[in-house]
Amino acid sequence: MSNYIPTIGVEVHCELKTNTKIFSNSVNGYGQMANSLTNVIDLGYPGTLPTLNKEVINLAIKAALILNCKIRPKMHFDRKNYFYPDNPKNYQITQAETPIGYDGYVEIDIDGKKKKIEIEEMHIEEDTCKSTHRGTKTLLDFNRAGVPLIEIVTKPCMESGEEAKLYLEKLKELLFYSDVSDCKMEEGSMRADANVSIRKSISDPYGTKAEIKNIGSISNVKLSIEKEIERQAKLYDNGETFLPQTRRFDDKLNDTVLMRVKETGNDYRYFPEPDIPYVYITEKQIEEVRKTIPMLPDKRREKYQSLGISEVNAKKLVQNRALSDYLNELLDEKLDFKTASNLLLGDISGYLNKNEEEITNTHLTKEKFIELTNNISDGTLTSKNVKEILDTVMESDKNIKEIIKEKGIQNITDGSAITEMIKKIIAENPDSVADYKAGKDRAIKYLMGQVMKESKGALNPKMAMDILQEELNK
Amino acid sequence: MKDKLTKEEVLHVAHLARIKVDEDEIEKYQVELQKLLNDVDKIKEVEGYDEERMIAPWSKDTTPREDEAKEMLNPKEVLKNAPKHSGNYIEVPIVISEEA
Amino acid sequence: MLDKSIQEIHEALKNKTIKPIDLVEEAFDRIEKSKELNAYITLNKEEAIKKAKELEEKEVGNNLLFGLPIAVKDNIITKDLKTTCASHILENFVPIYNATVVDKIEANDMIIIGKTNMDEFAMGSSSRTSYFGAPKNPWNKEKISGGSSGGSATTIASRDVLFALGTDTGGSIRQPASYTGIVGMKPTYGRVSRYGLVAFASSLDQIGPMTRNVYENALLLNAIAGADDKDLTSADKEPEDFTRLIGKDIKGMKIALPNYFMSDIVTEEIRNEVEKTKKLLEENGAIVDYVNMKYLDKAVTLYQIIAMGEASSNLARFDGIRYGYRVENPKDIDDLYLETRKNGFGKEVKRRIMVGSYLLSGENAKIYYNKALSIRDDMKKEFDRVFKNYDLIIGPTTTTTAYDLTDPMDDPSKSFMDDVLVIPVNMAGLPGLSLPIGFGKNHMPIGLHIIGNSFDESTIYQLASFLEKQLNLDLYPRKDDKNV
Repeated sequence: MSNYIPTIGVEVHCELKTNTKIFSNSVNGYGQMANSLTNVIDLGYPGTLPTLNKEVINLAIKAALILNCKIRPKMHFDRKNYFYPDNPKNYQITQAETPIGYDGYVEIDIDGKKKKIEIEEMHIEEDTCKSTHRGTKTLLDFNRAGVPLIEIVTKPCMESGEEAKLYLEKLKELLFYSDVSDCKMEEGSMRADANVSIRKSISDPYGTKAEIKNIGSISNVKLSIEKEIERQAKLYDNGETFLPQTRRFDDKLNDTVLMRVKETGNDYRYFPEPDIPYVYITEKQIEEVRKTIPMLPDKRREKYQSLGISEVNAKKLVQNRALSDYLNELLDEKLDFKTASNLLLGDISGYLNKNEEEITNTHLTKEKFIELTNNISDGTLTSKNVKEILDTVMESDKNIKEIIKEKGIQNITDGSAITEMIKKIIAENPDSVADYKAGKDRAIKYLMGQVMKESKGALNPKMAMDILQEELNK
Repeated sequence: MKDKLTKEEVLHVAHLARIKVDEDEIEKYQVELQKLLNDVDKIKEVEGYDEERMIAPWSKDTTPREDEAKEMLNPKEVLKNAPKHSGNYIEVPIVISEEA
Repeated sequence: MLDKSIQEIHEALKNKTIKPIDLVEEAFDRIEKSKELNAYITLNKEEAIKKAKELEEKEVGNNLLFGLPIAVKDNIITKDLKTTCASHILENFVPIYNATVVDKIEANDMIIIGKTNMDEFAMGSSSRTSYFGAPKNPWNKEKISGGSSGGSATTIASRDVLFALGTDTGGSIRQPASYTGIVGMKPTYGRVSRYGLVAFASSLDQIGPMTRNVYENALLLNAIAGADDKDLTSADKEPEDFTRLIGKDIKGMKIALPNYFMSDIVTEEIRNEVEKTKKLLEENGAIVDYVNMKYLDKAVTLYQIIAMGEASSNLARFDGIRYGYRVENPKDIDDLYLETRKNGFGKEVKRRIMVGSYLLSGENAKIYYNKALSIRDDMKKEFDRVFKNYDLIIGPTTTTTAYDLTDPMDDPSKSFMDDVLVIPVNMAGLPGLSLPIGFGKNHMPIGLHIIGNSFDESTIYQLASFLEKQLNLDLYPRKDDKNV
């Protein structure tokens, strides 16, 4: 196979997280009984007219901001006309002429370098209804009809499936973190299409384009692009050509398959939507939306690491939005963040998973979490203790001090008391002391075991080990 | 000015509009549609106009509504006017899937 | 009773000498007698009687519209009452919702008597494209009533009821009003909510009142006007009383009469009536000037492009999937669309949808549609220019009086040219009213078209009522048939 330069552009549809649909007051919901979330507007009944959901505009502004897009101050909607059973009016209300956002970018890390994936435009539109195919019939459920979408279109600026994958991961993280969308590809709230062409040299014109539609997961986006590049390269190598076409990725075949060769120029007969007057977006509105953008993932990772949290933990925290949000409430506190991150990702995550609970629904107040972390840091609580008391911490209103008292945890934190105990152990085990001095490593572990046994585990093991070594080396 | 559209042109617009045109109707449409197209071609004579468009005689900008849910139809009402349904779904002949 | 003045009827209802049911029964009697005029597609007899009886329990109050029967054009959505748009494709369509205007007339305790005949989807100028056959002109049953609101015009002209709603995309209220000798108003775009009006051309459509006189017309507009949360294009205007200038003097009023409206596209007898009216106005202290206006001769072209373009999109939803007629046993999905729409729509509608689709396809959207929108904006500015110096613009409503029902329908341009004088008003979104001012040589009514500035319907009514009073025409056709 010869070398070719691939050119890839990606189009992403994301359903916006609103209570209601874009042009009607019915509920924007998923997984409900078929045709139970509709009204006459969603069904395209004659005489009905669209209204416009304020939250859709706000979320679109938010998305435009986090994707570094310019925002259009005056816009209108357009009708895209095509007949399809999932399209209730047989036109879709979209923005063809005046997309709300344009000229943006998302930054990805590829091979240790940063690359800006350029965004051509981002527009608002309505979703279609859901079709299910059964034997000789297609069944239509209009619950999804009119769910608000944003479509984000990149420039043809990517060169590999890997880049496309990183872009999508980044996009998903950003939109999810800013509460713009759920971004669940498995539920269809995020959908991706990729345009792929290849050419011999950068000075050649772009090759013939194939569009891979509705790819079901980010990993399949990468895979399908790679397979498509391979397919096109083989054709060119054999001196063959092909027509612009639409393909889909078949996970069973693990390859792209042809859906249809594109008709000469899709004729959508766009024209401005007369039912929705101009929408104006003011600087003030943009600033108000900007204030609602939470700290974004890159910033979070950077911040966590600056507070002494390991890179691994920082990444893990950002993967768990609820824990990350919880921790962010504490960023201004004086806290041992390393311990705090371990606690959140360890015992607390374990508890939450086991009980299928959200951290914000437990009794773990900010104050309690700080108290707990501090008690671990200063050795008042051992990890064994934490395990013992965690259920109570999470489920009662008592503070940590009360819980420690109630559970009878009395850790020996007084150095001289520990020294006394260790002296006693050393005196009682002369053989082991001799072994230690003879360089047998096992001996110190045995002695340490005796110390822990004597103290019933109620002391800080590190502190005890330090004293033990000190005493043995005397 | 043309007298009539070609047969292919008639069939093309009929397809865009999803209206079947029978063989014996084509000729009539060739003439009638062309007559209307000759009418609208008069717009080509207009020069020196201002590019600014009036999409509609709107008297105000869009005031978006609050994101609050209101009453919806129950599936029975949705199906009431549908010529064919199956369970809670509206039914059409199989559509060659666009989705994977 | 229905020939009495609205004040007399109101007093009678208040004194309980009559009940709403008497009016409803009288209306149905009259409709029955004038059945051959084919004014209605659907009668609402059972429900109307029920509603009339319910109203007996209710205080009449000061609402002049209380208990009065009203006819509604059949492209306005009525809950639980068949709404066909005079089309086979909606022949059995029973909506599950109401148009906002229907909610409003019900809130005013008016009684819907039936749904009136019209051109299919309001596309036509003679109501002859109706799937249910054309209505006939009460002045001469051989003649058209005009269109597309031909049924509403017919039922008012024949005095079956006092009130009717029509819709006007390119003259469809005013032109039939003129042909049948009644008063028809197309309000300013946005004055009346379009929610529940089956869209033909969304940027042109407007619902308006059709009545036997000017005062009742203004009363009905009072009832149906107003902002509506369900229609983003409805205007936010404070409620006003459109009757408030009725009876006021017109001295000093400045009126423009565009030369184009008096050119030889209009028959001489009509021009003469308008000239007479001009003189009458001048004798009474109004100033009437001939003016030149750009673009008026281009309005039909713009209208054809915009209306057919929008219609091709608006009527795409009639596909036999969610409601309406569907062809039996379609082979596949394409067959379902193609055959349903072939059988479901009539000739005129199909022609317009096809041309509209063509006008928006590919590069044509730019060449035709966008250019039309630009010239439309210039045309509105031309009206603005005239309204800087004038209170109103007048002209004839139609170029001829009502023609024969049997006149050929094979020229697809004809139905557009019938509306050449009234279309500019829809283009600019202005209010316009047709008022009967006389008769032609065959005793067919002639109408004066009065155009106002945006949201200035009241001044139109002022002039119209002044002329109505001065002219004092006998506008009751077939007087002999009725018990006056």
